[in-house]
Amino acid sequence: MKKNKVSLRMIQYELRNVAGNPFVHIFGVGFPILLSVIITKAVAAEMPGSFYLGEVVTSIVLGIGAVIPMATILIGYSSTCSQDIEKNIPLRMQLFGFSEKYTIVNRLIAEFIYMTFAFLIYFIIVCSVLKLVAPAASGAIIYFVCIYIFAAVLFMLAHAIANLVKKFGLTYMITMIIYFAMMILSGMMGITVDKLPKGLRIASDLLPSTYFVKDFYTVWIGESYNFGPMIQSYIFFFAISGILVFIMVYNSKRNLH
Amino acid sequence: MLLRINSLNVQYGKTTALNITAPITIEKGDRIGVIGSNGAGKSTLIKSLLGIVNYSGSVDSTITPLDMAVHMQFNEYTDSMATKHVMEAILQTRIKKNRKLQELISYFEFEQCLNKKFKVLSGGQKQRFTIILVMMQEAELTFYDEVTSGLDFETRQKLVEKLVSWYQGREDGLCVVSHYFEELEQLTNKLLILEQGNVIAFGDKEELFNKYCGHAVIVIDNNQKNQLLIKEYEKLAAPNHLIALACHTREIESEITALLIQNDVNYKRSNSDIELIFINAKEHAAKGGIGNEKK
Repeated sequence: MKKNKVSLRMIQYELRNVAGNPFVHIFGVGFPILLSVIITKAVAAEMPGSFYLGEVVTSIVLGIGAVIPMATILIGYSSTCSQDIEKNIPLRMQLFGFSEKYTIVNRLIAEFIYMTFAFLIYFIIVCSVLKLVAPAASGAIIYFVCIYIFAAVLFMLAHAIANLVKKFGLTYMITMIIYFAMMILSGMMGITVDKLPKGLRIASDLLPSTYFVKDFYTVWIGESYNFGPMIQSYIFFFAISGILVFIMVYNSKRNLH
Repeated sequence: MLLRINSLNVQYGKTTALNITAPITIEKGDRIGVIGSNGAGKSTLIKSLLGIVNYSGSVDSTITPLDMAVHMQFNEYTDSMATKHVMEAILQTRIKKNRKLQELISYFEFEQCLNKKFKVLSGGQKQRFTIILVMMQEAELTFYDEVTSGLDFETRQKLVEKLVSWYQGREDGLCVVSHYFEELEQLTNKLLILEQGNVIAFGDKEELFNKYCGHAVIVIDNNQKNQLLIKEYEKLAAPNHLIALACHTREIESEITALLIQNDVNYKRSNSDIELIFINAKEHAAKGGIGNEKK
């Protein structure tokens, strides 16, 4: 009974799965809003009436926006996926005729829908509390295109980690380490990238999240920007995730005599 | 023919989990009971036919593993949503719009469970949930791997009764793994007996009974008085608390029953006791008898 298709019913099912995971609501919706509001209020208190306040607030909000895919997908999806694997649910679904390939596509779409919903809430709340600099149309488009590409690569990484590790506890630990490491190295935790030691700065430059924090204000307002280093970071991140996915696929082939 | 295993070998590291060397054919409408001790290779057989464990050998089939349905020993589903959503997603249908599914839900008395999450269902309800999903697939070949394990006697009985009446008169092939012989008496017409990864016997229940037990068997309690009473008759291998007497002809059967009645000994007569087939097939194999001799 092949059920090889991307279907609305399966996307609904996967969306229910995403929404049933409390991690994504806490870390993917609540935490970025809280972080944005607290940090920007603290910064605003230090530079009252400054000409640059709008730029600083917008930079912080755009940077922390990158936490949403990191939380909903890297942590949220990997935890759901690893819990499912522990219970052999993917195998059970395969035996009901669902090919892994289409299941992954359905899941990715569901994750993107949830992430879009999280971004809507995020921007509605931060825009109502903080004063952001309005984007150029191209800047807003590029920002969201980059967010979705980043999310897709995080999805690959999360899926590979969960499928290689196969245990919820260990998967959660690994993704949490990656999550906090990315936040620290991208300059989201109070230390800006230029204040990091040289070795860590190299690692920081290899992370797409760094560019959301460091540079995206320039793109947001439509000024010219050298995308070279940012694209390199995406290629690097994609390569790492791709290798892990390749190993995972190699280890989990089903023999259909 | 649905499926023919010409040869099949499954290795877990250096251990041979399953080694089938003589052909086993599953025909349309076959109801095959797969029996054997723990570790005999029963679940491994199902998993290899479904393509979820690697094997060497050759299997000819008119269907692919994707056309087979299976009730695994352990079946888990997401706890993020009510079972009705899981059911509708897996079956790609709406309960409200699918009469057959409604019938099955009602047949297995699952209506009250539809709004509950899988984790809060009882063992029997969980099994029924998977059975509904499996039956809705209408596969040409369906595997049930220990479908009633962990259930209490009454729930087990009810479940088997429902399975028996559901599959009555249907053309689907059925392969049932179970440690409960009375279930297999009701559900199956053929047996595949495995032991330590090898096939000990495969064939019709009646044929195997005739081969390993005779025309009929008389079973009595194993005590000193009974042992003395029947000492002249041929005994079969049996559970320790019982004595099983082989009746190769009706005359011997009449002679034994007359003797038992005369001496007021309770007895049970059978011509299809799967437990005795299993024990005696194992005994036969242990004495060097060849396994699957039905070619």
